[in-house]
Amino acid sequence: MMAIGMSLIWGVMDIINIAHGSFIMLGAFTTYWLFTLFGIDPFLSLLASMTVLFILGYAVQRYLINFVIRASAFITLILAFGIEIFINNLALVMWTADVRKVKVPYGAANFSIGNYITIPTIRLIAFILVIIISIAFFYILNKTNLGRSIRATSQDLDAARLVGVDVARTYSVTFGLGVGAAGAAGTLWAILFPISPMMGGVLTLKSFVVVIIGGLGSMLGPLIGGLTLGVTEALGSNWFGSTYENLISFTILVLVLIIRPKGILGGTD
Amino acid sequence: MRKDIRNFLICGFILVVVAIFPFFANNFIIRFATDILMFAIMASAWNIIGGYTGYASFGNVVFFGIGAYITAILMEKAGLNFAVAFLGAGLGSALFAILIGLPVLRLRGHYFAIATLGVAEAMKALVQNLEITEGNSGIYLPVLNLSVKAQYYFFFYMMLGTLVLTLLITYLMLNAKFGYSLIAIREDEDAANSVGINTTYAKTMAFALSGLFTGFAGSIYAFQQAFIKPGPAFTVHTTVKMIVMAVFGGMGKLFGPLLGAFSIEIISEILSNYFLVAHTLFFGIVVILAIVFTPKGIIDLITQRKFGIAYFLQNIREHRI
Repeated sequence: MMAIGMSLIWGVMDIINIAHGSFIMLGAFTTYWLFTLFGIDPFLSLLASMTVLFILGYAVQRYLINFVIRASAFITLILAFGIEIFINNLALVMWTADVRKVKVPYGAANFSIGNYITIPTIRLIAFILVIIISIAFFYILNKTNLGRSIRATSQDLDAARLVGVDVARTYSVTFGLGVGAAGAAGTLWAILFPISPMMGGVLTLKSFVVVIIGGLGSMLGPLIGGLTLGVTEALGSNWFGSTYENLISFTILVLVLIIRPKGILGGTD
Repeated sequence: MRKDIRNFLICGFILVVVAIFPFFANNFIIRFATDILMFAIMASAWNIIGGYTGYASFGNVVFFGIGAYITAILMEKAGLNFAVAFLGAGLGSALFAILIGLPVLRLRGHYFAIATLGVAEAMKALVQNLEITEGNSGIYLPVLNLSVKAQYYFFFYMMLGTLVLTLLITYLMLNAKFGYSLIAIREDEDAANSVGINTTYAKTMAFALSGLFTGFAGSIYAFQQAFIKPGPAFTVHTTVKMIVMAVFGGMGKLFGPLLGAFSIEIISEILSNYFLVAHTLFFGIVVILAIVFTPKGIIDLITQRKFGIAYFLQNIREHRI
């Protein structure tokens, strides 16, 4: 889920969004504040955090990244890094470094299959939501006019502009969608795990790994990549001990890059 | 030719000024200047692979960490002196760059960036788990047996010497066939290949040089700190700092990274003096503004001698859509 937005932004605009984790963090805090101040159910606040982050992402692309989009790829990379520092430290100043948790009353509820398999209900709902959001993104990209102009711009910017696509707007909407997906990921994260302003960095790295393993540009890729990473990390830390978790995931990353740079599902488009 | 001589004299003059500067400064300033020099080395080393060859390494901190750890292990566990450990650190990092470069340098663009990032993170995790590196608890190094003032001088001149070496080698490289091969690779790798440049060799050597100098910097840093841990030694922030400095100063220019290291360190120092809590926040704003207004680096601003709003607007007009 975290990686869908990153894959979209990367695949369409060739921008590696280092600030991705920070946007996830903002989504998580949106959910936290809506829940703490107004008692809004975290699952309902999913819509709110997606909307807020979509607008934020749209504005960032429109009034910042679009100004340097045609410079070399490092430039956007470093700009994203600047945005990351800015967001993280703003959050740190506003909300302090405390680790917080959204405590929902039904957080401990379980759902059992047979006698052995027990699934926490909130995890099941989160999983279903991830599937729904992925399908929604798949639909937007493949079946709507908006999706067509996004794909056209990604294939050939000048040609898309010639046939009348508003490129600047399309880029902004794409970035908004990607960041909106990060917001949704943040909401789900806030429901399942504790949150803090500095949580973004690790999530950005994980998103990289997932995007690379799954392959760029396809909406199914991040799902496959996410599953692969989750399962290998869990199995790996079972066999070698949990301190080896990062070693395993980054070794997989480098190996996948060397052996099959397009990822498991990449190269079909 | 006359211009060359003039530039050479200017460089010589600046070097002399920097070299006698510690005698007029207090310990705090010398230490600060040593840090600037260290980042100048690393940004210049990054410039060889990222700026000239066009391969944006996002894992150059791995050479820094390896250099630091080789120094620590050679001095503490093998009981060797610093000179041997220093050379070992540089050569070890360069060797690692060759080994890792051969497979990873086949990737291009973002994929190379992410692969190097992955190598650095995997290395950090490995060092955290190995016995010889003492995992997360870190290693202590023997302390330099000199007076405090002499220690400050020692590390300052070590960094200065390494920086001069880095810039000198880069300068010689640029005026040799090797330098032209690198720039050809940056501009169009397939074309470079087809006119008979051994691109694999050139890329790997550029990566090794980058590793060599970063390893030297890591070695001096470890000896200066007298204690190293995997987290700080391999942090991705060091890599990002190198890149920001190189880009801010001017990528693919000899003195760009040096200028970038100098100005970024000064800016962040001033900001942290004025804003205790929020200085990194303002640092983020500085990075954003610098990238939007001067994407070619401040060295371009100086050499073009174009100041004022028109220059900034022209930059924006060139790169916006």
